[in-house]
Amino acid sequence: MDRPADNHALRSAHFRGIRHLVFVTLPPNNFIVYDLLRKQVHAVLSDGAARDISFWNKLLLPITIGVLGTAVGVVPLHCACLERNGAGFLLAGVSGAGKSTLSAALAELGFAFISDDWTYVSREHSTLVGHGLCSPIKLLPDAVRFFPYLQQLAPAPTLNGELAYEIDPIRSAGITLKTFSHPQRLFFLERTPNPGSEFIVCPSGYVKAYFEENAERLPDELPAAKQFRASVIHSLSVHPAWILRTGNGPQKTAEAINHFLSEAVDAIA
Amino acid sequence: MPLHNFSTYADPLDLLRRFVPTPLKAIYRIASLCVMVQTNDFALLPTLLLGADRDAAAGWDLEWKLVRDADSGGPLGTPRFVTSEALTVLEMGTACIVGMDHERRELLAFIGRDVDARTYQEFLVPFLCRMMNERSTANSITNFADRSAVRSND
Repeated sequence: MDRPADNHALRSAHFRGIRHLVFVTLPPNNFIVYDLLRKQVHAVLSDGAARDISFWNKLLLPITIGVLGTAVGVVPLHCACLERNGAGFLLAGVSGAGKSTLSAALAELGFAFISDDWTYVSREHSTLVGHGLCSPIKLLPDAVRFFPYLQQLAPAPTLNGELAYEIDPIRSAGITLKTFSHPQRLFFLERTPNPGSEFIVCPSGYVKAYFEENAERLPDELPAAKQFRASVIHSLSVHPAWILRTGNGPQKTAEAINHFLSEAVDAIA
Repeated sequence: MPLHNFSTYADPLDLLRRFVPTPLKAIYRIASLCVMVQTNDFALLPTLLLGADRDAAAGWDLEWKLVRDADSGGPLGTPRFVTSEALTVLEMGTACIVGMDHERRELLAFIGRDVDARTYQEFLVPFLCRMMNERSTANSITNFADRSAVRSND
């Protein structure tokens, strides 16, 4: 049997797409074809990969949902999803803004954790549901400043080539893991050199533009997928949203969010 | 006329290279079919008989979209096929990935930067023609690939 799916496969993953077809090569010997029009997946897998549960959980299923999702009613959005007292929220921000680090700090503070990097949003009747894949929280090497226990781990390469520590939310004591939540609020994380955290109300147009401008381009061959994603983004844009501008570390920023939600938002509710 | 530079494409929101422009177009006669080939690299235009009697407005029977993939290097690997009712997909490592959609009558391919003109014209083009004509017959194409590989190594 081949060795379990590891970072070698992640480092060497090769993705290409034309029109409705997407091709994924996962070394050493796996090739997957996604037909987004017919909503089909075809694959040639090595014996080892086919029998390796970590290959399925860490690679094949996340990649499949990411590639095929929009065509089957699940929109991948580049944002974290957490929940406080049963109320879900999305935490968006450009790569490097600190979504994962802040998600880890929020989880330590008692927020339920759904996802730290990609949230898969579907629609159930008129309600949006944000799904996570129980994937590890990925923290960049400098996160060790805020989470000293990371020194016991070794960072490893991730799918996008970055080195990161991986915290398994399933096995980590103190993290409440949920597989889905209903996002009702949105935060857009921005770093600032100034200390402190401020919450700035942002209009629905900002939410819409942010997600549309940061979404993967879809080909004209997939009009239904494009339309579905636009409708999900529109539905998200009607929820209350704030730009969270912070110069604080993740723990202090997590406390600021907790305070903001408990005082400002709960009071409104 | 300046040659199209296929190595300059970069779009951070197109991680799959779906939208690589393929501005070079020509219509060919391949057996009884009229095939419209579009690509981003002159070297990927097949040295086959042009369909001089057909213009673009008259339409075509089948379309090839061939993308020279500047970011994929290395030699051709052993051919592997994935087939379904509608698709025949060929993978030869990251240097060559071809999807033939028989229902939509389109052949879509990425050809790596290290696949040279001779290998492409003498080995891959006959391969693509075969894929185009034979629906879901991976075995016969595999046999053809094996024979062609022997010839291309001569």
